[in-house]
Amino acid sequence: MNAAYLISLFIILVPGIASAFYYNNIGKASIASGAIVTALSLFQFFLRPSPGTFFIGNITWVFQVMVTSVYLLSAIYSTRYIRGHATGIGERTYFLLLNIFTASMLFSLEINNYGLMWVGIEATTISSALLLITEKSSTSLEAAWRYIIIVSAGVTFAFFSVVLIYYAFGSLDIYSIIHGGVTDALAARIAVSIALIGFGTKVGVFPVHTWLPDAHSEAPSPVSAMFSGVLLPVALYAMYRVYQIDPFPALYVWFGIVSIAAASIFLGYQRRYKRMFAYSTMENMNFALIGLSIGGLGIIGALLLLLSHSYGKAAAFFSSGNILRATGSREIENVTGLARSMPATGSSILLSSLAVTGTPPFGTFFGEFLILLAILALHMYSQLVIILVFLFLAFVSVNFNVSRMVFGKGGGYTETDRVMSTIALIASVIPLVIGIVFLVMVNEIL
Amino acid sequence: MTLIQTGIYLIAALVTIVAFYIQGEEFIRSMVRAQVVQSVLIAAISFIIGIIEASVDFFILGVLIIILRGFLISYFLERRIPGKSSIKYEPNVNLAYYFLLDLVFIVISVFIIFYVVFSSFRVSGVLAGTEVLVFPLALFFQGLFLIASRKSTFTQIIGYVEEENGLVLFAIFLLPVPLIIEASVFLDVLALVVITSIVVVEKQTHEKMEELKG
Amino acid sequence: MLLHTLEETVSQYLFVVLFAPLFAGILANLKARVESRKGPSILQPYYDIAKLIRKETVIPRASGNIFKYSPYLIFGIYSLIALIIPVLIPDPVFFTASADFLGGAILFSLAAFVKMLSAMDSGNSYSVMGVSRAMSFNFLSEGTLITVFFAVSLMTGTNSPYVTNHFLIANGISVVSLDHVFSTLAFAMLFLYETGKIPVESSGLMELGMIDEGLVYEYSGKLLAISKWSSYMKQCLLGSVLLNVFLVPWGLYSTGYAFLMDFPVMLAKWIFLITVVVIVETTLAKLRLFRIMDYLAVAFTFSILFLIFSEVTL
Repeated sequence: MNAAYLISLFIILVPGIASAFYYNNIGKASIASGAIVTALSLFQFFLRPSPGTFFIGNITWVFQVMVTSVYLLSAIYSTRYIRGHATGIGERTYFLLLNIFTASMLFSLEINNYGLMWVGIEATTISSALLLITEKSSTSLEAAWRYIIIVSAGVTFAFFSVVLIYYAFGSLDIYSIIHGGVTDALAARIAVSIALIGFGTKVGVFPVHTWLPDAHSEAPSPVSAMFSGVLLPVALYAMYRVYQIDPFPALYVWFGIVSIAAASIFLGYQRRYKRMFAYSTMENMNFALIGLSIGGLGIIGALLLLLSHSYGKAAAFFSSGNILRATGSREIENVTGLARSMPATGSSILLSSLAVTGTPPFGTFFGEFLILLAILALHMYSQLVIILVFLFLAFVSVNFNVSRMVFGKGGGYTETDRVMSTIALIASVIPLVIGIVFLVMVNEIL
Repeated sequence: MTLIQTGIYLIAALVTIVAFYIQGEEFIRSMVRAQVVQSVLIAAISFIIGIIEASVDFFILGVLIIILRGFLISYFLERRIPGKSSIKYEPNVNLAYYFLLDLVFIVISVFIIFYVVFSSFRVSGVLAGTEVLVFPLALFFQGLFLIASRKSTFTQIIGYVEEENGLVLFAIFLLPVPLIIEASVFLDVLALVVITSIVVVEKQTHEKMEELKG
Repeated sequence: MLLHTLEETVSQYLFVVLFAPLFAGILANLKARVESRKGPSILQPYYDIAKLIRKETVIPRASGNIFKYSPYLIFGIYSLIALIIPVLIPDPVFFTASADFLGGAILFSLAAFVKMLSAMDSGNSYSVMGVSRAMSFNFLSEGTLITVFFAVSLMTGTNSPYVTNHFLIANGISVVSLDHVFSTLAFAMLFLYETGKIPVESSGLMELGMIDEGLVYEYSGKLLAISKWSSYMKQCLLGSVLLNVFLVPWGLYSTGYAFLMDFPVMLAKWIFLITVVVIVETTLAKLRLFRIMDYLAVAFTFSILFLIFSEVTL
């Protein structure tokens, strides 16, 4: 029971403790807990527990920082966004579930056990399901339902992987399994393949991605930001931990490519901006999936991509929330002239859409670049060409739609809330900062 | 095959038949209760294996299944059935069509997967040398098909629970994972059912929607 | 040896032809008693056949030769089946080698086909309606019949019902094995359908629910008598297969003149089957016509599922 262990424990517990303020300012308590866990997880880089109950490697640490900081941003944003709009579940319940949701994500990241990691992933579904019906409507109920049933049915599939891992290794300890040798090659290979579909349901791998656009478009914007920004990466993390047992790049890379292609094609004909961003998330997640599965530079690229994308996509959904509150419309064609009437939101949505499509010098660009380099290093030329074509397609679709919303005549909206637009702006600048810092660091090293 | 193996096979086959019954049933309450029967059958298999292998784990597992699946889930679901619960039904259930489709679906998926993937896994213990894993896989895919084929919220929840049952049975036959994990899985499913029952009250059937297209 | 086989062949054939109406009579009588009616004599089917043979035969003007000769053909087909499957004697007799189990199933289908052909040829719209009904259900029932026989042959590795019978007697445990239990269930459901029992069809000329009766709507006199007799034989054959290969394979002998003992044994088995059928008939309600498909789908599902399960679990 040392300090590092306690810090890890606290990171999981603090959001839970914030829920204890249910009757007493839970909103402010959630912001406070967000700030605390962000600080703690940043600090944890220097003080990490030795693998036991928890296993926090470098990769885990990046995901942890991502979860806690996006949680902080979402909590601040939620205090304004939800106020007066929580018709399905109460405002306090909203924060309660948001905290439990975050705690279960952090639990899945930190725990050093495949079985309990699966339990944590399933718990994220349970705790986040009701968040989708914060603003109750027939559509949001349907979206929540699809989210629950598709994701839980899919993630259940991943439990086969857990059983097979236990069958092959006789234990479920992540650290020792990854660092030990493969004993039962067939069981490990099947476990890895099943995890692709099982956890892939939550990551948004084609063809089991169908819940993703519905849930993202109907959830309140801060929840969409959490979903895109961190929930999907957490599922990707779980998938990666299974993948590490017995890497099988051919399968994962091709599934990733097909998913990128599908997402880019779907992006082409979206009429609602939140749905559009949801498909963009699917594209980015699968790109990161490819990066993680080829290893080497790809892992660094994937982490850079995921980190920048989580803030960029959070900013995109925060901006979408501002637009939705100001215009009352979810359709792209009903929104125009944001640059003049809502300058803060206009610039944040433009910045974030550039960020999530991988424009230089945003961090996402460098992430994607590194992944492409790694693909090239493995002589996967055909894969590279396919990815480039669809990346271009996605870039054009998203930025064309967003620039139509930002520029153009008309408008006449007013910002609904200063805090909301500030948060969106801050979040959209972070990927830029990451990109520049990375550039500077690379230059220094070279 | 020994007598005990034959007995376990028969019970496992009954589980599959109960799944077929649920697939063809249109009354909600009967479906919920059939799920109870299915869970109790799985618990029975767990008890039998527990007696033969003299392992307490299987008993605890069986008791957990009966309490969580048998009582609590059916309690939460039955309570949510609106109106007079015994007469609430899902319309347009075409039994012959579902049965034949289910059959085709199982035959294709289970046997491709079974022959290609799972055929080399050897079950140990009392069922050594048998290919008993085919039953949990069939049950798993039946659960999936139930979710895919029906529109009522209740039916889809039951499909999910059935799918979970398939997993539990798979674990019982192959190698039971540690109890703590099994218990957390059960609690997860229970929590999910409780959460979904909140959605159930608001929305009972699921059709295509214009807003959620593409 | 040859003489012995000849005796057995003749007695098996006579058993099917002569005892078939008796079983129908016992069933009708027993059912009436359960329903607190006095009921017809158990010999009533014989009286019916005798009476019909003496009556005038009317042949519709619109009908053709198929209509006229098909009852004889059907009777002939069932006669052949009577020598192929173990109805009475547990060992092969003459003509047994002419077809295996699957061949028997195909002969049953052939008889059903000829029957429908004759109904089509009668020129009566009621009969044609019966044909369309029968056709829409038969696609499932025929499939079930064939898969059940497959399931049986998988168990022994041959396609001979005699081998199956001996195998079941020798290995007691396989009677409760998965494939056997469920193929029995499927075959029992099929038996109820093929012989027109509740819950599928209620006997008597009810136009709304009739399937099999509709096919012989235009027959009269001697042709009707032969048709009816064929139906009794069909019931007897299917029932005997159900008893000897699926339900109770024990108790039949063929050494020396022990085969004479098979008559009372078979009678006892049939009483058992009739009791089961009466229980089913008096406890269940008749299904609506479009529900019959569901009934057959269940039987088909059982047979296919356990055909495959048995293949995997061998």
